[in-house]
Amino acid sequence: MNRILRHTIRRILFMIPLFMVITMLTFYMIDAIGDPVTMMLAEVPGVSQSQIEMVKKFFGQDLPVSVRYFKWLFNVLHLDFGYSIYKGLPVGSLLVAYGIQTMKLQVAGLAVSVLIGVYLGVKSAVNQYNKKDIAIVSSSLLGRSLPAFWLGLILILVFSYWLGIFPSHGAVSYADYIFGNRVLDELWHMTLPTLMIAFFDLATYTLLLRSSMVDVLREDFILAARASGLSRRTVIWKHAMRNAISPLVSYVGYTFGIMIASAPVTETVFSWPGLGVLFVDAITNLDYPIVMGVVFILVITVFASNLITDIIHAIVDPRIEVE
Amino acid sequence: MKRRLPLRIFKENSFSDLAWQRFKGKKIGLFSLSLLLLIVVMAVFAPTLALYDPNDQSALFSGTGVYAAPSFDYPFGTDRFGFDVYSRIVYGSRTALMVGAITAVLATLIGILVGALAGYLGGQRDEALMRFTEAFMLIPSFIVIIFLVRIFTILSPTSFLRNIPLVTLWIIIFTLTIFDWPPIARICRAQFLRIKEQEFVQAARCLGSSRYRILFTEILPSALPPIVVLAALEAGSAILSEAMISFLGFGDPKVISWGQMLRFAAPDMRWAPWASIVPGFFIFVTILGFNLLADALSDALNPRLKE
Repeated sequence: MNRILRHTIRRILFMIPLFMVITMLTFYMIDAIGDPVTMMLAEVPGVSQSQIEMVKKFFGQDLPVSVRYFKWLFNVLHLDFGYSIYKGLPVGSLLVAYGIQTMKLQVAGLAVSVLIGVYLGVKSAVNQYNKKDIAIVSSSLLGRSLPAFWLGLILILVFSYWLGIFPSHGAVSYADYIFGNRVLDELWHMTLPTLMIAFFDLATYTLLLRSSMVDVLREDFILAARASGLSRRTVIWKHAMRNAISPLVSYVGYTFGIMIASAPVTETVFSWPGLGVLFVDAITNLDYPIVMGVVFILVITVFASNLITDIIHAIVDPRIEVE
Repeated sequence: MKRRLPLRIFKENSFSDLAWQRFKGKKIGLFSLSLLLLIVVMAVFAPTLALYDPNDQSALFSGTGVYAAPSFDYPFGTDRFGFDVYSRIVYGSRTALMVGAITAVLATLIGILVGALAGYLGGQRDEALMRFTEAFMLIPSFIVIIFLVRIFTILSPTSFLRNIPLVTLWIIIFTLTIFDWPPIARICRAQFLRIKEQEFVQAARCLGSSRYRILFTEILPSALPPIVVLAALEAGSAILSEAMISFLGFGDPKVISWGQMLRFAAPDMRWAPWASIVPGFFIFVTILGFNLLADALSDALNPRLKE
C-alpha cells in the first residue's frame, strides 16, 4: 500500500506542470484567433470603437494575454471560473449544473455498457465456437461499425416519434412530470441517451472480455478449481473473472477519463443540457471562460481516472507491480 | 544486382500470394471488399450515377417540394433544401473516402516513422518516444479535434489558408491524423523490437547495409501486416469522426458530406425519416466495409493468430 501511495504522489507532482502547459496552450490559442467581445458586438448595429473598448475593459480583455492567463489560473485555484461572456452567468455554477447532467448520463451509460458487455463476453467465452458465441461475436462486429449518433437518431425516431414511449429531448419535463414524480421523470428522459452511450463501447467490452476470458479458461488453475469440486458458476465468475477482468478495467478507466469527449454528439442528438453542448456553443462563440472551464474539468477527469485505474489495477490483480 | 536461379524449379509462392489465397477463402473478406467496391464505384462514377446535380434545387420549383417522400424521380426523397438525397449520397461517398483514405495513409506514415525509430533505436530515445505516444493516446481526442477545427476555421479566411480549396476539409483531415497515429506507432514499435533481433536482419547488418536500408527495406516489409490491419480500422474511424464533426456543424460547408446531411435532416426526422436514415446507413456501410476488411486481413496476414 505504501508503494501505491508513493507512486500516486509522484504522478500528481508530474501532473502539475502538465496541467499548466495544457491550459496555457488552450488559453493562448483562443486568444490568438480573436476576442469574444468583438465577435459578440459585431452583430450589434451602430456600435462604436470606444464602446467596444469599454466592454473589453469590463471583461478584463484589455490586459495582455499572459496577465489574463495567470489571473485565470489564480482564480481557478480559488474555484472562481469567472463569468461567461455570452450567457453572463458564473461559469462555476454552469459547470456544476451542466456537469451533473453529463455525469449522470455518461456514468449510467458506462455502467449499463460494462454490465451487458461482461455478461455477453463471459457467455461468449464459455460457449466458445458455439452458435451462441458466433452470434455474439458477429453482432459485436456489426455493432462496432454502427455510428452511435445515427443509432441515437433512429432510437428517437422509433421510440419517441413513432411509438411515443420516450421523450425525444431534454433532461426533464418543464411541467407535468411523468407519474407525477421528478426522479422518475428524469430517469424516463435518461433512457434513450443512456442506451445510445451504452452502445458506444459495448462491442469493444464484449470482445475484450471474451478474448481474455478464453485465455484464462484454458489455464490449469481453472481445471484444478473445477476438480476440487467448486461449482462451474463460482469458477467462472469468481476465479476466472478476477484474472480476466484486468484488460477491461484499464479500458473502462480510459473510457471514463475521456467520457466528456463523446458528450457533444450524444447531447446534441438528444438536446441534453450537458457539458458537451455547453462546450460546442462556447467554442462557436469563442466564449473562453466556459471553454477554459470545460478544459479544466477534462484535464482533471483524465488525470484522476488514470490514477484511479492504476490503483484499481494494483488492488484487483496483485501480480501487477506499480512502478 | 538481383541474382536469379537459372532454373525455376518450384512455382514461387510469395507471402502475398498465400495471404490472398487465405483472404479469398473467407466469405467475410469478399463481402467487405464488395461493400467497399460499392462505395468506390459511387465515388468514381458519381457524375454518371447521380440523377441530378448535387446542388440542384429544382425540386423546389417542380411541385415536388422539400421533404418529398421517395419516389421514382427521387429514389431517396428530397431534403429540407429541395436537394435530391440520392444524388447527394452518391457525391458524399467522395468526401468519405477522401477523409478515410488520406487520414489512414498519413497516420500510418507518421506511425511507422515514430514506431520504427523507437523500436530500432531502443534505450532512452525509445522510452521518450513511447511516453510521448502514450500521452497522445490519453487525450480525449474528439473534443480537442472539434476545438482545433473550429479555431483553424476561424483563422482561415484571414490568413494564407484562404487560398486553399476545401480548406476546412483539409483541416479536419490533418487534425484527425494528429490523433490517429499513436496506435500505429505502438504496434510498429513492437514489431520492430521483435524483428530486429532475427537472423536476416543481423545478416544484413553484417553485410554492411546502411541503417536506412535495414529499417525500411529489411525490417519494414515483415513488420507491415498488423500495421495494414490497423490502418484499415483507422480509415473507418476517420470516416465516423468526420461524420460526427459535420453533424455538430464544424464540417466544411462547401463539400457534400453524409454527416452534414444528417445535421440538416435530423431536426425534421419526424416528417422526413428518409433524409436521416439513408445518409446514416451509408456511413454504417462504409465503416462496416473497413472494419470487416481489417478482420479479414488480420486473419489472412497472420494465420497463426487463429490456430
